[in-house]
Amino acid sequence: MDGAVRISLAFSLVLGLVPGRALAADHGALKADAEEFFRGRVTPFVTNYCLPCHQNRRPTRAGVNFSPALKDPGHAAFTEQWKRGAARVKAHDMPPKNAPQPDEADRQMFGDWLAKLKYLSHQDPGPFVLRRLTKTEYGNTLHDLFGVEPSIADGLPDEVSGAGYLNSLSSLQLEQYLTIAEQVLRRMPPAVQRRLFGTPDPRQFARSLARKAYRRPPSEAELDVLMATFDLGKRNHLPYPQALRLMVKAILVSPQFLFITPAGENKSSNGIVPLDDYQLASRLSYLLWATMPDDELMALADRSTLHEPAVLKAQAKRLLDDRRSRALFDGFGAQWLSVGGLKRQVFDPKLFPQMTAPMRQAMYDEVRLFFESIVREDQSVIRFVDSDYTYLNETLATIYGLQQSVKGPAMRRVRLSDGHRGGVLGMPGVLAATSFPNRTSPVKRGVWVLEQVLGDHVPAAPPDVPALDKQDPAAVAKLTLRQRTELHRTNPVCANCHQILDPIGFGLEKFDAIGRWRERDSNGQPIDATGELPGGHRFSGPQDLKAILATRSSNVGRNLLERLLAYALGRKLEGYDEIVVDDLMEQLAADGYRMRPLIYGVVTSYPFTHRRVEEKGAIREQTRNN
Amino acid sequence: MSKRATTNRRAYLKGLGVSLALPLFDSLGWADTKAKPPVRLGFMYMPHGVIMDQFWPATAESFRSAPPPALESLRPVLDQCLMMKGISGVPISPFNGAPHALELSTWLTATLPAADKRNEINIAISADQIAANHVGAFTALPSLELATMAQTWKENQEGLNEGYYSHCSFRSPTQAVPAEVNPRNVLDRLFSRQQPAGGARAASPLSGLDRSLLDIVLGGARDLRRTLPVSDQRKLDEYLDSVRSVERRIAAIEVRQKDAALEKAGVRASQRNASDSPPIEIRIPEGDKRSEYMQVMCDLNVLAFQTDTTRVSTYIGSTPNGASYPELGFNDQHHSNTHHNQDPEKVRKIARITEFNIAQFAYMVKKMAGLREAGGTLLDNCIMMWGSGLEDGNQHTRENLPFIIAGQGGGSLKSGRFYAATKGNQGDLLTTLLACAGIPIDRPVGIATKQFEEIKA
Repeated sequence: MDGAVRISLAFSLVLGLVPGRALAADHGALKADAEEFFRGRVTPFVTNYCLPCHQNRRPTRAGVNFSPALKDPGHAAFTEQWKRGAARVKAHDMPPKNAPQPDEADRQMFGDWLAKLKYLSHQDPGPFVLRRLTKTEYGNTLHDLFGVEPSIADGLPDEVSGAGYLNSLSSLQLEQYLTIAEQVLRRMPPAVQRRLFGTPDPRQFARSLARKAYRRPPSEAELDVLMATFDLGKRNHLPYPQALRLMVKAILVSPQFLFITPAGENKSSNGIVPLDDYQLASRLSYLLWATMPDDELMALADRSTLHEPAVLKAQAKRLLDDRRSRALFDGFGAQWLSVGGLKRQVFDPKLFPQMTAPMRQAMYDEVRLFFESIVREDQSVIRFVDSDYTYLNETLATIYGLQQSVKGPAMRRVRLSDGHRGGVLGMPGVLAATSFPNRTSPVKRGVWVLEQVLGDHVPAAPPDVPALDKQDPAAVAKLTLRQRTELHRTNPVCANCHQILDPIGFGLEKFDAIGRWRERDSNGQPIDATGELPGGHRFSGPQDLKAILATRSSNVGRNLLERLLAYALGRKLEGYDEIVVDDLMEQLAADGYRMRPLIYGVVTSYPFTHRRVEEKGAIREQTRNN
Repeated sequence: MSKRATTNRRAYLKGLGVSLALPLFDSLGWADTKAKPPVRLGFMYMPHGVIMDQFWPATAESFRSAPPPALESLRPVLDQCLMMKGISGVPISPFNGAPHALELSTWLTATLPAADKRNEINIAISADQIAANHVGAFTALPSLELATMAQTWKENQEGLNEGYYSHCSFRSPTQAVPAEVNPRNVLDRLFSRQQPAGGARAASPLSGLDRSLLDIVLGGARDLRRTLPVSDQRKLDEYLDSVRSVERRIAAIEVRQKDAALEKAGVRASQRNASDSPPIEIRIPEGDKRSEYMQVMCDLNVLAFQTDTTRVSTYIGSTPNGASYPELGFNDQHHSNTHHNQDPEKVRKIARITEFNIAQFAYMVKKMAGLREAGGTLLDNCIMMWGSGLEDGNQHTRENLPFIIAGQGGGSLKSGRFYAATKGNQGDLLTTLLACAGIPIDRPVGIATKQFEEIKA
């Protein structure tokens, strides 16, 4: 795609050139301006240069049709079309050579239009589909319901959570659900069994268990279904408790348990509706705890008050204060900070014998405890980058050179005097996650800082990278890693990105591949960790780099907000979401981008609390042959 | 097995209330049936392409006599392999920045994801699942999906859903099929045997009662479906499809158990033909050597085919996020070496990785070639395709995708040859292989425009 656009974005982020985000109060004016711009500039452009081939008339060229997009330019369905159109026009791919050509100013205008597009988007919570419990959520929910270990779900396939979650269900998984249901019945602690199966009335049993397991009151029809399984047991001469067990099994393979389903039928057949309070309770609980809503949340849903912003916020606070909120790190934080794969990451055992299982665990826990402390203490998001404490045990302290003062296996809070440490950029877990098995990767570290900390997007390297030095491989071999990497910048194709990436990566080069401080590289050469970012920000080492990044609080805040919102919604952000983020950013900036308001903002946001209902009605059940 | 027995068994299944074609199990041989053994279709994947000049045979003539280094491990069975050079992949524009998200997901679909729904999975049913739709009902498992790495890579190229990175098998345009990475689970599944962790008691949780239970649950799910918006109805269809599939599987297991009981009671003599090889043994490796891990998955694939537990398999040898191969003496990841820029050291490593992967494939097909079936070998009745979704990982080219096809497909393929100047695309190849496996083709796979008549026997 159009690398140049994104690269210039990278520049501007690092330099802080992104123009101030619009304030909510201005939305009306901005929308009017966008409409005016659309009518006055975009419509004539599209009419003259696009519609001749791409309109409501068969055959449309390449399946592209601008007629509907002209009628409703802000509709989320057309966002991609506008973006792609602008890229083609900018690259002079379109209009085709034999057609009338716009002048450069008009081409530029068609690209600038993208920045205004969001103001025309409709208030829309975005696509919403029934969500299946993830593997983690499923295991935790079984734990809460039946007192079995969450590891009972270990055999299920691993899956991506948050944005990119596949949300699909295969026969392999269903079969495993059935098998796991059997194991749940077998492994249930006796106390739970006595409590559960002591009920003399099977329908009452079904009602009370289904309410918990379906996370909403079951309908009478749903109870009839469960009673049918009880009757099946009786017909097969099962004793009473065994017939109840059959009902448990039925509950555990029902879609109402496996998916988060709405309570009752939606009254409106089309359009946007608030989530019912039970769905909201599940959404909140699975986001912050990765398990089913507890009694208090269910009681608030019963009273239909959970959706009130003050109540919702108070519940979010209560959930965050509970230890179970560590799920937010395991599900979201670990992914964001890239330490989720540390356990399985390969390191050369000869070079890094320190990377034992306890060491990897300590590295992960350090990042986790640090993340949790920022949430618990409601610190500013900028503390992620720049802070003066961390969490260590003796194992991990060896990486910091603090093994004299930190003893024993327990992780504890440690105040840091070394300005290069403190914050995720100096954490061994992060530094190791962005390294190769045998050495550091300044490029990977540079990309990591830009993408994970500043929220920029770095395009993948083009495949046709010419060889770095065809003339004299021997000479290249003698260069330091830095000198070799700097060859990137002698090639203009590479230079665009690498002049930003590489300095950041080299700023961290005094941390080795597992995060130990060093003055010399593996060849004994002294390390040069100085650099200059475009725009003249000079730095020397991690401490300076941290200080530069710490001034970018709105970039760091927006990045974290966008990532958390996408994770909470289980989808990528698009269209109207951008307006939601703009509004939240305005509120967050006012008190220094603190972590709690950021989370409360997400859980009370419009897309988190609403759903779009596509037209109802019967589509034929899809059946397949096998 | 006599024709009458076949009829009886089908009638028995009807009696169970499930419309199901004849399942044939490991206790049964093929040699004494009138019917030919079924054709089995397997796909095995390696990401990132190959070192071309070490992969392609020099000439059609030298293919078997002087194979290139990458094919050395296949030498004993090259007479049962065929290769075609000149098969192009799906052109990936407008997703030019997503070579790795597309190399695996286009491999068996020969289709690009829908550009306007790139956030979601929206591609096409894959060739293996087309086959499973036609022959899946004959076996206890409609298809088998294997992999050696969790399908959880989080990387977003061109805004494409992460799932495209690590899935090759698609049940429908919107449903990626997850693969099993744990050999123990696969073994339990093949024999429908679950060991409760820590307990010695072997229980078969999939019983006839479960099938009745699922029937009731299915009814409840249909009620729920009626109350939902359209988009949710589609989601629930995946659920319904899965439930039906498990029901059929339980029915098939019941037949197997009944047969075993009859045999034990002496009502029927063993149907196994003495000339067929007994089912191979599976040994789950203790350590974490990649070759052993890959080979036990190969063994499981062989066993599943040998016992006719399934007739369709996919095996993702590794995903594009990069396996490492410490066994080969280096720890760096596959992908980081593919952009080798002709650096001899990196080229050597990629060549080694390719040889290693082909050697695992060779291990599988050689094993098949050693198993007697119906007067020939298991391999005779298989079509095993090995390949990659890129030609050259350095440049991301897709003009001559590397493919090796082993097996004769029950006599439907002309093996032992190298077709050095093929003209066509990967859709053409997949369509041809499906046709050879006896799958009725109602429409071509992906971008296919024709079949390769030259490779058909």
